[in-house]
Amino acid sequence: MRKIFPAEELARDSRFVRQSNEDRMNDPRGARVGGSTGEKLSKLTPTLPNGPDRARALMHGIFVGEIQALEGAGRTCYDFETTTDVPFAMKLDMARQCWDEARHCEISVALAEHMGTEIGEFAENTLLYQAACNPDPVLRLTGVNRALEGLAIDVFNTMKEFGSLAGDPVLEFCEDWMLADEVTHVKMGSDWLRELTLNDKERLTKALEFQKVVDRLFSFNGFRGEDDENPIQLTRRFRELAGFSDEEIDDIAQMSREAAAETVH
Amino acid sequence: MTEIQIEPNSFEMVFFDAEKIANLASEVAQILELGDEQIKLRIDETSSMGRSKVESYDPIILAVDGGAFENTQRPRYLGETRTSETIARLLMRIIDRRSPGFANAPEDDLLDLPLRVAWDTYTVGRLNHLGLSTQKKRRQYQFRNRHGFSDAADEAFTYLWGSPNKLVWADIERISVGCRIALV
Amino acid sequence: MAEVKRPREPFAPWDRRVLPGLFDVEETARRVGNYKWVETKLFETLGGWIATVPELDVKLRLGTHCYHHAWHAELFDKRLPELREMNPERLAIPPNENLVDFMEAMSEPEAPGLTIEKLVGAYRVLLPHKIAAYTYHRNGTSEVTDMPTIRMLDFVLQDEMNDWREGEMLLKSIIETDEEIERATAHQARLEKLMLAAGGIAGKGSIGNAYIDITEEK
Repeated sequence: MRKIFPAEELARDSRFVRQSNEDRMNDPRGARVGGSTGEKLSKLTPTLPNGPDRARALMHGIFVGEIQALEGAGRTCYDFETTTDVPFAMKLDMARQCWDEARHCEISVALAEHMGTEIGEFAENTLLYQAACNPDPVLRLTGVNRALEGLAIDVFNTMKEFGSLAGDPVLEFCEDWMLADEVTHVKMGSDWLRELTLNDKERLTKALEFQKVVDRLFSFNGFRGEDDENPIQLTRRFRELAGFSDEEIDDIAQMSREAAAETVH
Repeated sequence: MTEIQIEPNSFEMVFFDAEKIANLASEVAQILELGDEQIKLRIDETSSMGRSKVESYDPIILAVDGGAFENTQRPRYLGETRTSETIARLLMRIIDRRSPGFANAPEDDLLDLPLRVAWDTYTVGRLNHLGLSTQKKRRQYQFRNRHGFSDAADEAFTYLWGSPNKLVWADIERISVGCRIALV
Repeated sequence: MAEVKRPREPFAPWDRRVLPGLFDVEETARRVGNYKWVETKLFETLGGWIATVPELDVKLRLGTHCYHHAWHAELFDKRLPELREMNPERLAIPPNENLVDFMEAMSEPEAPGLTIEKLVGAYRVLLPHKIAAYTYHRNGTSEVTDMPTIRMLDFVLQDEMNDWREGEMLLKSIIETDEEIERATAHQARLEKLMLAAGGIAGKGSIGNAYIDITEEK
């Protein structure tokens, strides 16, 4: 088996339909992330007329995102040599993440069914997994565990609140559990980033820059932020628990505002 | 024979075919026995959202976001099933409003979300009966969001979904309001 | 003042554990080091395969099992310093080059159409060999002096048995044709030969020697 497995070859059954990043970005109506659209965005709540439908589409996006997160964590177990590339303990964390992501796949596919969607109803793009293909383990870990898993914190908290407001005990319960796992994953990322770059400022800078690139991609069109028009709300409290500084969270909020402002409707 | 008019006639941002959409609309109109009507369909191709509404009941003018006709597996391309379902749901609303049993139904803009969803449940349930919709789980989730995640709401949904052509507006209102009272 | 109880034996009548065991500290450390190497290679391979298998249930089970074997590797890693090996990496090695060949052959299948080969390698060849070696170790080591290893192996064996059963059931449900049976058995035979050459996951004597040496009379 090769080291570094390309995103185009991620194995899926016939129900899944792949959308290329090119197609996604070239949509003149505005790119979609996680089932939302590039226009007239607003915080995802059940009070929106299309709130349940958007939540339903987002849940499908969460499901395929969890598959890719599982695949990414699995590849990090395999792609790097223990001790020479990465510490043994970091690989153990990645294996633990595999188990967590496998459970998240199970949870989100069941929730998707609960919300009335089915596997393959929406197209999948592999942007998330691509962050897990970085050949530098520190950059990969930062892109995945701090940027993407950080986004997962925001998404799960938004969905948990959605469930709470809608009076949907199943959604609220499950999202709460997944949120706990995501905080753990982001903390893993924060801890390993600190440890692996302790004496390497240049690598730390590179890793944080890569994290920003990934964060920016997923702030597209103001998808995530802390203003009322952001469908997914930035979750300060849980990000702090996971090792983000106030300054880092402010940066993400600002980045989202800039991304929203850059969007041409 | 139904006369279908699609506006615009050609598309720049999505890969839709106006003739195909007209054919789908015509097929649906035949099934719903609106064969002699003129139907105008206004499509906002700039929007990837899924909104749709009856803009005028007589003459029939339907207004939809391009996203409502889109293949969710292949964005920007026409989803035939989705297109038929959307058109059928709007036409069924028109059929209901033309019947005396729905004379007291509020204007579309004045319908609150639970009532709109309850009516949609009754509508899509009948379309399902006619082989024009496959969205039971999706509609049930919407219904639960507006009427509670409870056995009572599920029973109400089942009743609305499985009641072909026998309910009037007062029934829908009673069922929807009843669920909400039970929630409190 | 409470009445002083009558004296009792340190080993209760039903406690039949005995002091002697098959392995001294050094041999135990060697084996545990091999086990850690095997578990590490296995969890890495299962993790790598996740992206390559299209079957959703298999994908998710691989993710779950990946962690089980990583946890086993961690347990063995923690045991090594207790066995006087202060640098656990020094003993976390394969018993011989033949086992390296086996691991390479087992992790070789990558294409999405090779799920049968992947599962056969892990669940029909490696896991049964691990279960055999761990059971031999568990039953043969001193039940008093090496109880920490026994406790560890009991936890590990519980996982191994469950994972083996799940893997075997996945295989049984995926194999649907004569040709697929042949693919599975051919791959199993190829890997078994490599494992035979390695002598098991801890090398020759992984599960002892069941044969009796008879000296012929002259």
